Amino acid sequence: MHIAAWFLFTMVVLGFWGACGIVQKLSTNRISAWSSMIWLVVGYALLLPWLWPGKILFHYSTHNIVWGLLAGFLSTLGSCGLYAALKCGGKASIVIPISAMYPLVVVILAPLLLHESITLVQGCGVGCALIAVALLST
Amino acid sequence: MAVSDTLRTRWFWYSISCVIIWAPFFIASKLGAREIPAPTMQFLFTIGSLPIMVVLLLVTKCKLEKDVKGITYGTGAGILAGLGTVGLFAAYGTGESTSVVTAVTSLYPMVTVVLAVLILRERLTWLQVTGLAFAAAALVLFSL
Repeated sequence: MHIAAWFLFTMVVLGFWGACGIVQKLSTNRISAWSSMIWLVVGYALLLPWLWPGKILFHYSTHNIVWGLLAGFLSTLGSCGLYAALKCGGKASIVIPISAMYPLVVVILAPLLLHESITLVQGCGVGCALIAVALLST
Repeated sequence: MAVSDTLRTRWFWYSISCVIIWAPFFIASKLGAREIPAPTMQFLFTIGSLPIMVVLLLVTKCKLEKDVKGITYGTGAGILAGLGTVGLFAAYGTGESTSVVTAVTSLYPMVTVVLAVLILRERLTWLQVTGLAFAAAALVLFSL
């Protein structure tokens, strides 16, 4: 049975991000959400020595480097929005399912911005995934 | 709470801001990962997240709790999240559809929920059990 590379990589994401959810919960049980965010970025930074690409970094096109920097900025800013919503009195049972709806926006934007298309089976999979995310976040 | 009341709350708009900010994060990730290898993307991602950390340090006036376990868990979460994001960039780098990769990776609460049962001895609600069934169905459909 052939398993596509992209599928294996997404399983890696599920494993690490899923475990991260537990560790983050343990962290926010002991320290404030903002402190937890700061230490999260420190955790990212601890990986930097292994990730440093060397001089080849400057050979990539500037706009793609900007996309990489922007990805980190937006991801962390979005996390701040989530913590701010919880801090402002939003119930976790409502705030987290709302915030988990980002794939819906990506599914709408990707065909428009990236001119991508998906098969009918994949479309059904996306539908199931969106329902699953909403239910799992309750 | 009535819909009009909800629309006036700050928490609602912060929640919406997550969705509005995270969606472009995935689009930016895809655009960058088309040329740049996953580990280098994660390097840039980390540099990009540093300004937010600086703002948070200013907001908190650098007054951070000294709970060693809390700090260890917080830092560990960063390492796990960082490693997971390398996988995300690698998946986008294969050229697979952004919608599909994003939808599959958004299923990570499935792992969190299962680990919460196994490690934290939390109980699943029937909604979460239904969610797990939909997640399994999604994974089967994507693997076809």
